[in-house]
Parts: sequence; structure tokens; C-alpha cells
Amino acid sequence: MTRKTLIIAAALGVIATGLVLSGPARAQTGVIVAAMTNGTVGEQSDGYLGIAGTASADVRSEVEAINIKRRAAYTDLAAKRGVTVADAAVATGCQTLANRVKPGQVYRIGAGAWQTRSAGAITLPGYCSTAG
Amino acid sequence: MKMIWKAIPIRIGREFGPSLLGILPIAGVLMLPACITLKAPEKPIEINLNVKVQQEVIVRLQKDAQDLISNNPELFPQ
Repeated sequence: MTRKTLIIAAALGVIATGLVLSGPARAQTGVIVAAMTNGTVGEQSDGYLGIAGTASADVRSEVEAINIKRRAAYTDLAAKRGVTVADAAVATGCQTLANRVKPGQVYRIGAGAWQTRSAGAITLPGYCSTAG
Repeated sequence: MKMIWKAIPIRIGREFGPSLLGILPIAGVLMLPACITLKAPEKPIEINLNVKVQQEVIVRLQKDAQDLISNNPELFPQ
């Protein structure tokens, strides 16, 4: 085997590895977006994603993965502002309910039932605003 | 945060001048119903402010929460 062949083989290997790594990552985000569109997965007022009803193992594991990363982000914010992780998470929950959940998608406030957002804005929990 | 207010006993009464000394024994009996004594409750009155404080924390964090979402779009799929 010549040196040139070796280099080409190595390059192909790198490309193949990249495809293997990026393929599932793309697919998983797609899985969650699809699940949010069909109402299997939704935002919760506690700042985390939740599963409404039953979901495939793929969806469940991806929801779990995202929530672990969210918790890390909430932990950073909490440390920066001197508040509890739960407060940082709940504050973000106000934002996701107000600005991220689209009409037709599902959401849940507290331990309440899953609801589908209508065309109008979601009625936020009182603690989300000073007026509440 | 808790605030504890202790009620202070309040006594409402009437004082009569010396000219009324003659009828004091009778007045003393008649005065009784006019004397109202408020006793302090056994337990202090507690006003719980936890809810208000937590709400202020949440409201104060709204800008940070917005930034957190826009800085981590992969964690907030739509």
C-alpha cells in the first residue's frame, strides 16, 4: 500500500466517522420536533420537556438527554444569580410557555393535565409576571 | 421570610372625676360592661411572605431565561 493510498483511506475514515456522528444527532432533533408537532412531547411550566401519553424509546431518551442539558444550563444560571435551580428552571418555563409553544402544540402547567395551545396566548401562571 | 407580629393588649376604660365619688359604688357596678379588655392571642400572628419573594425572583430572572433559550437553541426545539 502506498503512502497516498493510506492518506486517502484515512480521509475516508474521517468522513465516515463524521457521518456516523452527525447522522443520529440530526435525526434525534428531528424526532423531538416531530413529537412536539404531533403532541407527544411538550413544554412544561417547570422548565423541562415532558411526554404527553406514550412515546417511542427514541423520543424518551432524547427528551431525557435534552432535560439533562437544560438542568446543567439552569444550574449555571442559578449559580450566577444566587437562586435555586428550580427557580431558574421555572423562570425559563414562563418564557417557553409564553414564546416557544406554538398553536397546536401541547404544554402542561404544574401537575395539571396536558393542554393544546389554541390560537391565543397561553394563560401563564401568576408567578410569571408582577401583575399576577 | 417570616414576620411575627405580637398583638398588644389594649384596655379601654373610663375615668370618672371626684364629683362622682358619691355614686362610685353604683357606678362601679354599672361601669363593668363599659370596660372592654382585649387579650393578646396565645399564638403570634404569622404572615408568610414566601410566595411573594419567590415570585419576585422568577420575574427578575425573565431576561436571563430569554438569553438562556436564545443561547442554547439546540436545547429548545420547536
